[in-house]
Amino acid sequence: MNTMNQTRRSFIKTTLKAGVFASFAGHAPGLLARTAAARQERDTVLVVLQLSGGNDGLNTVIPFGDDAYHRGRPTLRQVARGAHKLDSHLAFHPRMEGFHRLYRDGLLTIVQGVGYANADRNHPGAMHNWHTADPRSPKLQTGWLGRAADRLWKPDAANVPAMFVGAIPQPFAANAEQVVVPSVRSPRELVSQYPPPAGRDVPSGSNPSWLDSLRRCTAQVQANNRRIESAMSASTRNDYPQFQLAQELRTIAQLIRADLGIRIFFTELGGGNIGGFDNHAGQLGNHCSLLHQLSESVAAFIRDLQRDQLHERLLLMSFSEFGRTVRENGRRGTDHGVAAPVFLAGGGLKGGLCGAHPSLTDLDKDGLKFHTDFRRIYATALDRWLGLDSRSVLGASFAPLDLFNA
Amino acid sequence: MATLTQHPFDLATAWARYEPDERRPWNLAWAGHLYRRAAFGATWDQLQRALRDGPQRTIDGLLRPRADVAAFNRQHDELETPPNDENSSNDLRAWWLQRMIRTPHPLLEKMTLFWHGHFGVNATKVNSARTMQQHLQLLRKHALGSFREMLPGIMRDAAVLLSLDAKANRKALPNKDLARCFMETFTLGPGRFSDRDVHEAARAFSGWFVLQNQLRLIERERDSETKHILGREGRFTSDDVARILVEQPATSQTIVRKIYRWLISETVEPDERLLAPLAESFAKNHDVFPLVETLLRSNLFFSAMAYRQRMKSPVEFALGIVKGLEETVPTLPLAEALARLGQNLLHPPTAKGWCGGQRWINHATLAGRHNLAAALLKSDGPFGGKLDPAAVTGRHGSGSKFFLNLFLQGDAELHDGTDANTDARRVAYAALTLPEFQLA
Repeated sequence: MNTMNQTRRSFIKTTLKAGVFASFAGHAPGLLARTAAARQERDTVLVVLQLSGGNDGLNTVIPFGDDAYHRGRPTLRQVARGAHKLDSHLAFHPRMEGFHRLYRDGLLTIVQGVGYANADRNHPGAMHNWHTADPRSPKLQTGWLGRAADRLWKPDAANVPAMFVGAIPQPFAANAEQVVVPSVRSPRELVSQYPPPAGRDVPSGSNPSWLDSLRRCTAQVQANNRRIESAMSASTRNDYPQFQLAQELRTIAQLIRADLGIRIFFTELGGGNIGGFDNHAGQLGNHCSLLHQLSESVAAFIRDLQRDQLHERLLLMSFSEFGRTVRENGRRGTDHGVAAPVFLAGGGLKGGLCGAHPSLTDLDKDGLKFHTDFRRIYATALDRWLGLDSRSVLGASFAPLDLFNA
Repeated sequence: MATLTQHPFDLATAWARYEPDERRPWNLAWAGHLYRRAAFGATWDQLQRALRDGPQRTIDGLLRPRADVAAFNRQHDELETPPNDENSSNDLRAWWLQRMIRTPHPLLEKMTLFWHGHFGVNATKVNSARTMQQHLQLLRKHALGSFREMLPGIMRDAAVLLSLDAKANRKALPNKDLARCFMETFTLGPGRFSDRDVHEAARAFSGWFVLQNQLRLIERERDSETKHILGREGRFTSDDVARILVEQPATSQTIVRKIYRWLISETVEPDERLLAPLAESFAKNHDVFPLVETLLRSNLFFSAMAYRQRMKSPVEFALGIVKGLEETVPTLPLAEALARLGQNLLHPPTAKGWCGGQRWINHATLAGRHNLAAALLKSDGPFGGKLDPAAVTGRHGSGSKFFLNLFLQGDAELHDGTDANTDARRVAYAALTLPEFQLA
């Protein structure tokens, strides 16, 4: 992966496209110099995608080669028929063409058997655990992405370290003690609708006053206005499906392309509460539609970023509060389980499967047993992708996973 | 431009009363400064009157307004009272903003907001607007009163316990998180107590339960044995813990430092020696009023050490506009807009309240502030054209420089060719989006 060069190139490209050099160099030379210097730092992006309700991993990555699957799923197993085979044992749900293509192209990794010890099987408690990243401390007042945002903040950078993109109230994972994590639907919310008056030259000292910082930030807003407009027009020709998730991801792609320094994006599929992936009855149709939205929206997102090689800066990670029971429940649905797969997508990944599929016979109250603690994925994303110290965010060390190309 | 001389205060004169002289004359800049800190901004008439009255008389009026404040607040309490079964505090949030705008005693609301941030109660966890209202009333009652009386009230406040996930304090499971929060965040500060102090104080909290939003003492869950807290020994109750914590010098230091940050400066951490005399006198009776009075009347307050040395919170930013334009605006959409800028009233991110300072500002929130200013000035939209810059200039007839004087007291100038003929909304918008306007 040649992230740095790639990034610098795409930065210059967007900058030139937006005509930013000429116009803002005039009144903010300090800002430009600083922005160029900041390129030396890591500018990888993490996109976290919450699947609300508890996704049925077994009907997402289907162990069609396992008799126990067919025994446990007398009606729901019908999806195995048109599934996209990954190997002689596993296949993607038939409506996940997009994920299947990403997988074949080495742009998607499936981390199997993810969970944690003594897993909570109630929605709010389980979701809270994934949000705090500390199941033993239910009263923790911050979420793991919020803590990462606090660590990413630097005085005088004017940057937004993290942002939630979506219509639901901001999930707790983004709760930060110190920084403001904005929620937006459209990049236009980051544009000032009327241009603020022109600023003055800003001296760039090592210890600038707050007024200097504000002047620089005002210049940044003006520069962003142009960058965002340019990034938005760059992706109109793109083919995103009409799903809400696809639109949120399109917004994120535009913000990545505008190169605003946002390192963490957070979005959601399923509606935030119970519902969504929580299919206790008549699971087939609803689950099929959600998986299709997931797969095609993420695939469109990666393809869009690929046009500018921006996918090399990207790591997308999905999670859900729990998996579901192996046996369907007599109402053609499934109940709350334990372990489930986590999907990772992006240009820096090795791709393929990570970890074995959990046994369908050695179970935890009819749920799959986990073998990979979810915080190992968090830690890997924090340390090896964002370049943060995961211990300072997670409060403990977790063994990293070997996910990325060297 | 304001004439601000760097005044080399020694520790003896920093807290002495400011008396204008040739080097530091009383002027519009200082009047604006005073109203940003001790209130939520000022109207043109208020600024002009302050110029005539001089600093100390103006401060008299901010500390002890002539109006019947109690009657105003009683009436507002009635207006804002939510139905018993209302879970969401979103209406209450809007009522509070309305009170901040209309109150004859803005300093009281400013300090209520300070304590709201200090105790960081989150309405989502409380899940009852009535209980939140009672919490706010408790904060307001003591906002300029006695911290010694406020703290036991806070310990017995259902909203506080609910917000800290401490609605059931069982003898067998002393709630150390609750005790730690009281010591670390509300009183002593980090590193000034031991784990044992936390454990013992947690035992003293046992027996307190919140049942249907009412606080109850369940006798059989109370731990009435001896406890050892901060070098004291006794069969302490939660009231005793409050008393012990208040009496610690560290508590006075914490509160004084935090109010200094609130009223004087966020940019530079004050020297221990500078705060020592304030902390010592606060430690005598824990009265907030004389502390606030000393700070506001001081030489230091009227110095470059304080001037524009705070970042406006979203509330201060928006209400400064509203006050200056002499009208009120619909506060339901305003509360929503402030939440998007990072200050969701009654829903602070943690028990530590809002971190504030430079963390308020990034390119997203700054663009958001510009857009809020534009929305407030617009003749249509969620704020319904309530604010009318042209009418305000008309009343005070001061031409295109008027808004720079009203909002910035001449601290900044516009470079984009606005003149007497430019539309008043445009000039006002230009003034409100100057970087200087973000500083309190």
